[in-house]
Amino acid sequence: MLLKISRLLGVALLASAATFLTVNAQTMNQTEDFRRQAPPPLASKPLNIPKPYETTLANGLQVVVVEDTRLPLVSYRLAFRTGSANDPAELPGLTSLMTDLLNEGTERRTSKQIADEVARIGATLSAGTNSDYTTVAASALSVYGDQVLDLLADIALHPSFPASELELSRQNRKQGLIAQRAQPSFLASERLSRILFGQHPYATISATPESLDAMTRERIMSFHRSMFVPNNAVLIVVGNVKRDAAMKRIEELFGKWAKGQTPTENFPAPPARTARALYVVDRPGSEQSNIVIANTAITRTSPDYFPMLVMHTVLGANASSRLFMNLREAKGYTYGAYSNLDTRRFLGTFRATAEVRTPVTGASLKEFFLELERIRKEAVSEKELMDAKAYLTGVFPIRIETQEGLTDQFVQIKMYGLPADYLQTYRERVQSVTAADIQRVATQNVTPDRVAVVIVGDASAIAEQIKPYSDTVELYDTNGKRKEMSNAGGNNATKTTTTATSAAPFLGIWALTITAPNGQTLPATLTLKQDGQGLNGSVQTQLGEATLSEIKLNGSNFDAKLKLDARGQIMEGTVNGSVETNNMKGEINLKNFPPLPFTGTRDK
Amino acid sequence: MKRLFIKTTLAVLLMASLALTATAQGTSETKQTNSNQNQSRSNVTQTFQLPPTPVEQFTLKNGLRVILSEDHAIPVVSVAVYYDTGSRNERQGRTGFAHLFEHMMFQGSENVPKAAHFQFISNAGGTMNGTTSSERTNYFETLPANQLPLAIWLESDRMRSLKVTQENLDNQRSAVQEEKRLRIDNQPYVPAFLRVDELIFKNPANSHSTIGSMEDLDAATVEDVREFFRIYYAPNNAVLTIVGDFDSKEARRLVEKYFGSIPRQTAPPAVDVTEPPEVVLRQETFYDRFATLPAFLLAWKIPARRTPDFYAIALASSLLAEGESSRLYQKLVKGEETVVQIQSNLDERRGPSAAFIFAIPKPGKDVAQIRRAIMDEIKKLATEGPSAEEMEKLQNSLRNDSVRARQSSLFRAQRLSEFALYDGDPNLFNTELDRYLGVTASQIKDAAARFLNTDNRVMMEIVPGKGAAKPAATAQAPGEPAQPASPAPQVPPAEAAQAPTTTATQVAPAAIKPPMARPEQPQQPADAPKQTEPGSQPKRP
Repeated sequence: MLLKISRLLGVALLASAATFLTVNAQTMNQTEDFRRQAPPPLASKPLNIPKPYETTLANGLQVVVVEDTRLPLVSYRLAFRTGSANDPAELPGLTSLMTDLLNEGTERRTSKQIADEVARIGATLSAGTNSDYTTVAASALSVYGDQVLDLLADIALHPSFPASELELSRQNRKQGLIAQRAQPSFLASERLSRILFGQHPYATISATPESLDAMTRERIMSFHRSMFVPNNAVLIVVGNVKRDAAMKRIEELFGKWAKGQTPTENFPAPPARTARALYVVDRPGSEQSNIVIANTAITRTSPDYFPMLVMHTVLGANASSRLFMNLREAKGYTYGAYSNLDTRRFLGTFRATAEVRTPVTGASLKEFFLELERIRKEAVSEKELMDAKAYLTGVFPIRIETQEGLTDQFVQIKMYGLPADYLQTYRERVQSVTAADIQRVATQNVTPDRVAVVIVGDASAIAEQIKPYSDTVELYDTNGKRKEMSNAGGNNATKTTTTATSAAPFLGIWALTITAPNGQTLPATLTLKQDGQGLNGSVQTQLGEATLSEIKLNGSNFDAKLKLDARGQIMEGTVNGSVETNNMKGEINLKNFPPLPFTGTRDK
Repeated sequence: MKRLFIKTTLAVLLMASLALTATAQGTSETKQTNSNQNQSRSNVTQTFQLPPTPVEQFTLKNGLRVILSEDHAIPVVSVAVYYDTGSRNERQGRTGFAHLFEHMMFQGSENVPKAAHFQFISNAGGTMNGTTSSERTNYFETLPANQLPLAIWLESDRMRSLKVTQENLDNQRSAVQEEKRLRIDNQPYVPAFLRVDELIFKNPANSHSTIGSMEDLDAATVEDVREFFRIYYAPNNAVLTIVGDFDSKEARRLVEKYFGSIPRQTAPPAVDVTEPPEVVLRQETFYDRFATLPAFLLAWKIPARRTPDFYAIALASSLLAEGESSRLYQKLVKGEETVVQIQSNLDERRGPSAAFIFAIPKPGKDVAQIRRAIMDEIKKLATEGPSAEEMEKLQNSLRNDSVRARQSSLFRAQRLSEFALYDGDPNLFNTELDRYLGVTASQIKDAAARFLNTDNRVMMEIVPGKGAAKPAATAQAPGEPAQPASPAPQVPPAEAAQAPTTTATQVAPAAIKPPMARPEQPQQPADAPKQTEPGSQPKRP
């Protein structure tokens, strides 16, 4: 308030000065009622959605051409209706490795020649896959359009999969398998996919060292031949091209490509979920809990797609949705809470997610479940419905502002077989959704009593918090292996075990390394002793000495109160840790200070 | 889309800098040396014209600089407001404050209730965000074209009458602390990139991170927020840019109506970002408790953006490790097969800046030997210079990236704002490409020799786990020969003596990585709500 008054005063003073000097007083207008409300929009402007030219070559390759002359650029996308879901069951990651190797050598070019040729014209050329489809993408200045299309055709149709490149890629991918385990988001997706999809191929999101070892050059080549067939593909061209010239070139490059068999897919159904269950991936020392609450949901071609889209927008699609407003803006638990509508060809998922600080893991679950129940039980208000529709229809033109964005839309349409007038009718379809539609699809697809709740975080720190939210808790390590819950958490504060027998593993002198928040480490010494009065202990650091009290032992874990005399300044806190023969790890928590993790070894 | 591993790790490193950062790690040179290459190519080179972006500019009486750029292709409008304050303006004990403040700018003003900013924009069919870097704090939105008045109203209301309450401050402090945990503390490698700045830069204005420390964030008071607002959030310390489908006369009328009466303030205190030439500490081991693979970082202190040396180093850096055709990728990931991943990056600042090389060696490989190989390659560049083919590559990449990036009205709004704020000349957006194209092979060679050597280099080993630090103050890495700087050339290259007057740093975000060490801190994840409509260029699972 103070601020506002002084600001207004400032305005007033300046304004009066201006009047006094009788110069240009109009910019100092004091009648500022116009500020009190959001101004009305100007007249709306029509959006011209480009109409593509579409045709199909004799071999079945569909072609979509959009002439876009705004800038001297062109984008190409060759997309196949098979993805990692089509990996052979024993070879997860095969499509991914195969597409990765496309630009590592062709019948005419080496890996280095491809890289150099692409770079020389300042172009981009890449390939990638998701569970449902695979794309080879190229872009360039339009003067280099023919050259980059030639490169695209070469790597897609004539890859040679050199043995040396395969071996290198295999080795590097194995390192990648290790690296991805450092990321909480990967750990969450891995666990969730296994739980939700069971025997369905969507359950697997990554190769394994074994599958990588089993991928021979012959296997990759035959897989490429069977997957990359023109009658299962579409080539999309968006850019500063002339349709006739583009088609002529496309016919030359892709016309002789032999037709093949389109794959038949007969995937096992996912397991039916009948009850809520919790799955914790233990990441000791994790700074946050990554929470994912999910169940299977509609496919991309479901008639409920638009009601689900609007429901998702109300609940959690953006920074003005309910989840964000609650968990971040009202509670401050997280940097962002969202829902996620992931619709795919065979199955979809609907998820609610947030990364929250460890101590509010349970409190966050409470808010999530409250919001999930609310969207099912109460019809959304007319205002929320209108706002969500305005958002979806408004951001639509922003999505097609760039060639890449427009190309993405056509890829979606073609890969999922969406209606030809999908772009033209998108906004109408959004507008036609009612509050009753939303409640209906929420009831079917938002299922708090049957969801899987995956949490990647420090199991011992969250065990107590999450207990109220499920009777079933499964614990996994970061390698995806099941572990027992016993050692993690469950430290009922009343259980105080200070007998001589259980204390033995803890007693002695331990050399600790404490990691400060800035990443620096400092050495410390922990001494744990037992005498007539029971357990006592101390920690010596450069900052001063800390004494421990109320030391409690539980299995291989201990915790205690701690009082640090840092050069005369007394700081209070707690310490907890776990011991495994001669190694110890744990955390010191001082009031108003971030946690200080430590590791230690027994000092002999 | 190459290699799962490269993508994922890169994604982690870049997590902290979402949003399209306007960094220029440029690439290019037009030289007679390659005019004999390929006839059709050099024709392209000669005829290529960057499609110009119209620039209309004026300044309000209160000092607000305004840039308008009409484009009627799509009925969309992007509005950006850039304030001349970033983490470089923070005092000690208040690190992270500029960014915390950025969050406060979404917490309501006289006529806009708390958190209503998100609602107004979303409900009008728009997207928005704000980000903070060392150099500036920006706020931006893209909306259907007819909603321009809404953006003007929202931006003007918070510039003139931000509401600051203890409750909002506490809440946003929590959000920011979660942001720090999410994107930095809980990630592999990212904390190392923040630490390395402290080894490069001596001046606290440069060395501390934009996210700041938890303790300093805890210490921030409502009074600090009010004071910061008064000093830095004045119209005369800001640039407003509007790009898209609007009528300039109408836009100007709106801007004058809504911003015209916001009072000018005393200019903020000057910031001192000067640095001694030498780095602070040349070697350190960083224990990374979340990394699963060891890695190392090489870092150099380099001159400010838009200096002749900066352009040349940017191009050298690109040749060394940008993309699969780059020298170090071909030499180490391919040829010797000793590293899994290598990349180069620049941290581009108005003051002393930095260049980095980050590598993840393969297990069991001799790391000292890998670093020797890197330094050998740099030395080769520093003695022989780039080839004609490499110059052509730089040039074409730069052209492609420059054109491609400007498809987005938001990108244009951001870059125009930046040039206006830093250089007083938004038209650099149209001319900076030529400045890059003018860098010669010999300038690249000389800059590599003078800056990218072992004399003044930080080497950080990143070791998984939580060990005891061994900050070794040794002059060079074990097993690696010294590679001294070559003296500055006797005859400086054409315009080396002083910064050119017409220049611009213009490169696309697609091919150019944002600085890893000085991440931007956005208000909300820039890529969060995208899941609904998965892009057709699939992500690797």
